[in-house]
Amino acid sequence: MRQIWQKLKVLGRGKLAFSAAMAYLLCLLVLISILPWLPLPYAPNYLDLSHTLQPPFSANAAGAEEGFHLLGTDALGRDVLSNMLYGARTAFFVSLPVMLLSTLLGLLVGMSAGYFAGKGVSLNRGKFLVLCLSFLLFAFYAVYLPAKAWRLGLGDDVIFYSLGTFLLFTVLLYTLFFSLFRRIRTLKKKVVFPVDELVLKVIEVLSSIPRFVLILLLAALFPPSVVLLSAILVFTLWTETARLARAEMLRTRQLSYFEAAHSLGLTNWQLLYRQALPNIVGPILVSFTFGLGSLLTLESTLSFLNIGVPTTFVSWGRLIAGIKTNTSAWWLVLFPGAMLTATVLALYTTSYYLTSAFTQHKD
Amino acid sequence: MPPYLLKRILYAIPFLWLVASVIFLLSRLLPGSFAEARILEEKQGYYSKGSQSTRQAVYQDYLHKTRQDLPLFYFSLSPALPQGVLLEADKLQAERLLWKYGDKEAVHPYLESLPHLEQELRLSPQDDAAEHLETLHKSLDKEKMLLAATAIYREATTKEAQKAAEQVVLGLQAMQPQPAYSFLLPTFTWHGAQNQYHQWLFQTLKGDLGVSYRSSRPVGELLWEAISNTFWLLLSSMLIVFFLALELSMCLVQGKGKYLRRFLFPSFFVLDSIPAFVLALLLLVLFANPSFLQLFPVFGMGYYAAENLPPFARAGQWLQYMALPLLCLVLANLPYITNQVYTAVQSARQADYARTARAKGLSERAVIRTHVLRNALLPVITLVSDVLPALVAGSVIIETIFAIPGVGRLLVESVLARDYPVLLAIVLLTVLVRLVAYFMADVTYRWADPRLKHRTA
Repeated sequence: MRQIWQKLKVLGRGKLAFSAAMAYLLCLLVLISILPWLPLPYAPNYLDLSHTLQPPFSANAAGAEEGFHLLGTDALGRDVLSNMLYGARTAFFVSLPVMLLSTLLGLLVGMSAGYFAGKGVSLNRGKFLVLCLSFLLFAFYAVYLPAKAWRLGLGDDVIFYSLGTFLLFTVLLYTLFFSLFRRIRTLKKKVVFPVDELVLKVIEVLSSIPRFVLILLLAALFPPSVVLLSAILVFTLWTETARLARAEMLRTRQLSYFEAAHSLGLTNWQLLYRQALPNIVGPILVSFTFGLGSLLTLESTLSFLNIGVPTTFVSWGRLIAGIKTNTSAWWLVLFPGAMLTATVLALYTTSYYLTSAFTQHKD
Repeated sequence: MPPYLLKRILYAIPFLWLVASVIFLLSRLLPGSFAEARILEEKQGYYSKGSQSTRQAVYQDYLHKTRQDLPLFYFSLSPALPQGVLLEADKLQAERLLWKYGDKEAVHPYLESLPHLEQELRLSPQDDAAEHLETLHKSLDKEKMLLAATAIYREATTKEAQKAAEQVVLGLQAMQPQPAYSFLLPTFTWHGAQNQYHQWLFQTLKGDLGVSYRSSRPVGELLWEAISNTFWLLLSSMLIVFFLALELSMCLVQGKGKYLRRFLFPSFFVLDSIPAFVLALLLLVLFANPSFLQLFPVFGMGYYAAENLPPFARAGQWLQYMALPLLCLVLANLPYITNQVYTAVQSARQADYARTARAKGLSERAVIRTHVLRNALLPVITLVSDVLPALVAGSVIIETIFAIPGVGRLLVESVLARDYPVLLAIVLLTVLVRLVAYFMADVTYRWADPRLKHRTA
C-alpha cells in the first residue's frame, strides 16, 4: 500500500496532466458530497413551468425573484445547473459502489481461479457429495420456499421454519456423513474440482453476448429500479477484473518470493491474501479507474435511453435526453455532456498514468 | 471440412441451447408480462375502454392462445394449478389454498367449480353476491368460505346458479387442512411434454421464432427488415474505420509520423472519452439544426423519396441521410481500433525479418507494405472477429438518436416494451454471429499465417 502511495506522489510531482486530473476528480468528489448544503436556487426535480426551455445566461431567465436559471432550463422548466450537479452526484453514488463490488467479486474469483489453475481444488468424494447435497437443500429450503412464501404473503413464521429446516438438515447431513467417512473407503478417494476451468467457462458464456446487449436484456427482465440495475451491472462487469486478476495471479505464482512462501508451508488463505494480493493491487487499481470511467458512460447512456432507471431518477442521461423534444436546445447537451466527458477524461488520464507507473516497475 | 471446425460447431450447439433456455425461462419466471401491462391496465392502451370482465376475458384468451396457460417446465415442486386459473390474483389465491389444503385432489374440484358459479351469477345477478364472491376470492378460512358459499346457495334465483353454488359448497367441504409443516416436503409433479418450455423449444428448432408481442408480426420478418435497413451503413462504417486505422498506423510508425503522433494520440484520447450519445447529439445540434448549420436531414432514412430514381441518385439520397450516422460511427470506433492496429504494426516492425528487409536496402515504405503488414494482420483479424457481433446488435445509441430502424433500435424498443420473443431472437443472432466470426477468424488465421496450417488444432 505504501508503495502505491509513493508512486502516486511521484506521478503527482512529475506529470501535470495527472495532477490536473486528480485535482478535478477531488474537487468533484468534494462538491457532490456537500451538494445538499449548497445554496442552489432550484431543486433538480422542481418544475418551473413559467420558464421552460430558457437559454443559458439570458436576461429574461432572471424573471422570478426566487432565483435565476444560470444554465437555462429544459422543456419542463427544470434547472440545468442543479440537474447537472445532482446528476454528477447520482452518477458517482451509483458507479462507485457498483465498481467497488464488481472489482471485489472479480478479484476474489479471478485470484482463486489463477491460484488453483492447473491443480484444481481436491476434495475427497464424501465432502464433495455433502457439498452437492447441501447445495440442493439450500436451493429448496433457503431460496425456493422462502421466496414462494414471501410471494404468497404467508407470513414470517413459514420463512423461519423453512430456514430452520435447512440448518437442521445440513447439520444432520454433516454429522451423518462424517461418521460414515471413516467406514467407507470409496468416499475417501480424491475428486479434483476444476475451479479454473469452471470460472473460465462462466466468463466465456457471459462475454459471448456483447456487454451492452446483455445489460439491455437483463434490464428488460427486471422492473426499473436503481438497486436492481446496480446488481445487473455488477453481474456483468466482474468478468473484466476476474480475467485480469487471474492473469496477474498466474504471473505472481511463478515469482520466487511466492514459491518461497509456498515452501514455508503457509495456508492457501495466507498465500492468497498476505503474499499475492499486494502484488496484484496495482494493475487492479488501473482497471478500477478505467472501469469507473466507462461505467459512468454506460450509466448515463442507459438513463439517456430511459432503460432500467425510474423516470424520477436525476441523471445526466435524463437531462441530455431532453433534447429529443427540441433539437435547438443545445445547452441541454453541451453542459452536461462537457461535464460527463471531462469526468471520464480525468479518469482515463489517471488510469493511463497509473498504467505507465506500474509497467515501469515490472521491467 | 477440417476436424477443428467441426469440433467448434459441435461445441456451439449446447452453448446456444443454454443461452436461449436461460433467457426463455427467466423471461417467463419473472413477474409482470407485456400482455398483463397492456391488457389489464385500466388507464392506458387499446383495451382501456372495456370493462374489467371483458379485459380479463381478453387476457385469458390471449394467454391461452400463446400457450402461457401451460405449466412452465417438465416438472414442478408444487402442485399444479387447474387449467382455467389464469389471472395473477386468482393464481396467488389458488397457490395459497394449495399450500394450506394440500394436493390437487383436495383443492381442484373447488377451484374448478368457482368460475362456473361466477358465470351463472353474471347471468342472474344477486344482491350480496359480490361481497360473498370477494370472500371466496380472498379468504383462506374454510368456515368463512363455506358461510359465503351457502349464502349464495340460499339466495340463488335460478336452478343453475343453485346447482353451481352446491358444487362449490361440496368442493369446499372436501378440503381438509394439511398438517402445519407439510409444506416442508416437496411435492413433485410431472407435467410431460405439455409445458411452455417444451413447446417453445420444438417450435424454435423448427425455425419458428414466434410472434412479436408488440406488433404480432413474425419475429424473423422483423429482424430481417431491421438488418436489411442498416447492414450497408454498419458495414461501410466498419470498412472505413479499418481502412483508416491501417493507413494511419502505417503513417504513424514511420519516422516522419512523429509530429502526427504528437497530435493524433492526445486527440484520440479525448475523442475516446466522449460518450457516443453525446458525440451523436453534438453532431446533430451542429450540423442538422436550423439555428446553426442545416447541412443534413435530421432523422430517418428518407422514406418519402421518389420511387423511380436512377441508382446513383438513390445512392446520393441515401448518403445524404446516412452521412451523420456514418461520421459518428467512424469517430466513435476509430480511436480504439487505430490504437490496436498501431500496436500490432509497431511490434511487427521491430521483428528480425523487418530489420533484415531494411538491411537489404528496401525503403521504409516497402518494408511496411510488403513485410510488416501481413504479419501485423493476425491481431487485426482477432479485432474484426470481436467487432462483428457488435455490428449486428448495431450501434444501439446511434440508431436510436438518428431514428434509423435497424437492429439496435429494435433492441431498445423491445426492451422498453418487454417484447421477449424479439429480444431472444436478437440475442441468439448476436451469439450466432459471434460464433461464425470465430470460425472465420480461424480460417483467416491460417491464410494469413501458413505456419498455423501445420500445427494440429
